[in-house]
This record gives sequence, C-alpha cells and structure tokens, in this order.
Amino acid sequence: MLKGHLDMIVLAALAAAGSAHGYAVIEEIKRRSGGAFDLPEGTIYPALHRLEQAGLLSSRWTTADSGRRRRVYTLTKAGNRALAERHAVWRQFSDAITGLLAGTRPRENPA
Amino acid sequence: MIQDYLEVLARELDFDRSLSRCVRQEVEDHLWETVAADPAGNSFEAQRQAVANFGDARAIAAEFAVLSLARHSRRAGIAALLVIVSVFIVMKARVAWYALMQWAISDDLRAVGGLVMTIDRYAFLSSVVIGLGGWIYIQSREIPAAFDPAYRRQLRRFFLLCGAAAAALVVSVISDAVLTVLQLRGAGLSAKFLVPILSMSIEIVCVGILVLRIRGVTLRAASTAALTRR
Repeated sequence: MLKGHLDMIVLAALAAAGSAHGYAVIEEIKRRSGGAFDLPEGTIYPALHRLEQAGLLSSRWTTADSGRRRRVYTLTKAGNRALAERHAVWRQFSDAITGLLAGTRPRENPA
Repeated sequence: MIQDYLEVLARELDFDRSLSRCVRQEVEDHLWETVAADPAGNSFEAQRQAVANFGDARAIAAEFAVLSLARHSRRAGIAALLVIVSVFIVMKARVAWYALMQWAISDDLRAVGGLVMTIDRYAFLSSVVIGLGGWIYIQSREIPAAFDPAYRRQLRRFFLLCGAAAAALVVSVISDAVLTVLQLRGAGLSAKFLVPILSMSIEIVCVGILVLRIRGVTLRAASTAALTRR
C-alpha cells in the first residue's frame, strides 16, 4: 500500500523541504508523518533516481560539511505539477472513503 | 561494517560503473550521517543499526538495476533512430557521388538493379517506421518501479520492434552493397571508388553498432531478471 504511494510521499517531502539530500528527505517524511511511514531507508534512493529520470526532480552534487560528496534533489516544474495532480487524486479518494465510512462502525460480532 | 555494506552494494551494481560509483557515494553519505545522528556515537552498534535500517543491499541493487535497464532501453531507441538517419545520409551522399561521376548501372543489369532498389527502398522505409515506432513506444512508457510482468511485456515488445527495425536495416544495407557492386562493375579501379567503398563501410559499421547495442540491452535485461529473482 505504502509502496504504491512512495512517489507522492517523496515529492511531498521534497516540496516541503525545498532542496534536500536523501537523508533529509527521509527525515522530513518521518517528521511530517509522525513516524507512521517506517520504510527501509534504502528504498527512497531508487525512488529519487526514478523520479529524476522521469524529469520530476533534478539533482546536483555538493560537498557536505563532513567533506563527503552529497547529492541534493529539487522538485522541477513537472514535479510540482505531478504532485498537484496526485494530491487531487488522493483527496478525491480520501473524500470517497470518508463518505463511505461516515456513520458506520464495525459490528461487535460479525457473521 | 559500513564499508562492507558499500562494497556489496557497489559489487551488485557493477554492471553499470557510473551508477555504482554514484550510488555508493550517495549511500555512504547517508549511512555516516545516520551514524553521526545516533546518540550512541560512532560505535559498531550504531553502524550495524544504520545498515539494518537501510535495507538489504541486493534488494536495493535490484531496484537500481531496473532503472538502469530503463535508461539503457531508452538510449537504445535513440541509437536506433540515429543509426537509421546516419545510414540515410551516407546513402544519399553515395547516390550524389554516382550522379557527379555520371556512373550508372549497365543496361544488361538494369532489371536486377531495379529489383534490388525496390527491396532497398521498402526495407529502409520499414526500418524507419518500425524504428520510430519502437522509440515512441519506449519513450512513452513510465519509468518502472520494479521488474514486474507488465514491464517485462513492454520490454519484449520494444526488443521485438528494435530487432525488426535492425533486420530491415540489414536488408537495406545488403541491398546497398549489391547496388554498389552493380554500379562499380566494369568500371576500372580508381581512387573514385573510395567514396562508395567508404560509405558502404560506414553503413556496415552503423548497423553493427545498432545490433551490438540491442544485444547489450537484452543481456542487461537478462542480468536484471537474474538479480531480481535472487
């Protein structure tokens, strides 16, 4: 379930963080989701590369304070548009489910 | 601990050296930053935890392998078009040279020449249409997240189109070679022969590059399949 929405999660985290490297993206996801999304951290990197390949992100290499090379990602215009589209689809889905569940509650002893 | 993990990851990605180097640097930065943020400091346990949280190196390498395959497939589509355009330019240059030299196929071979020319024309047109179709097909697909059955089907279709375009181009180049022999037949050997011979060599090299490129991508697909199966 979570993997199906990984792209949207990464795009949303980057939109919130601005330019960020992989570690910062993961931290942003954890912070904004209240720790609900506990993905293996390594799965974020292929997603970042895939989104870059699709033109939704751009990246550049910088040097961190530690002296290590660091890859920093930024949302492109296409990435912003893709996020807005996915957001709209998600809201529609969420509203539909909320409507469906409104006024219902699980039965104590289902048949 | 971290170095061992990076070695495994880099080794698994060895089929794409630049990707391997780039991913290694990126993951190394991540893991050391995780260790630095650990309250336990730079201990063996902190490194072990960072590696464990990152996930299985082979599984991550398999995801990158799919991305690499997608990138190379797209490049193969572009290569096919570039090769077709190059062959066309070389072909036109040779025909222009024949006109300049006022060379023509002798009357007794004109019928054979006409037939070969028809085969050449249709074979080349087929390669253009199929090659263009293959390129549009692969460019219009989404970048896959996994080497799943849907992506395998896409790749099979793309390889089929590329193979058909390359086969049609091979027929066209063979026809060109036959036409060149017919054109030069009977003419005395001279330096003027260099242009058609050189242009034919370029066409053969172009087709060879395309065939090798397609073969390279199919081999990469096979190694990606093996990596994702493990």
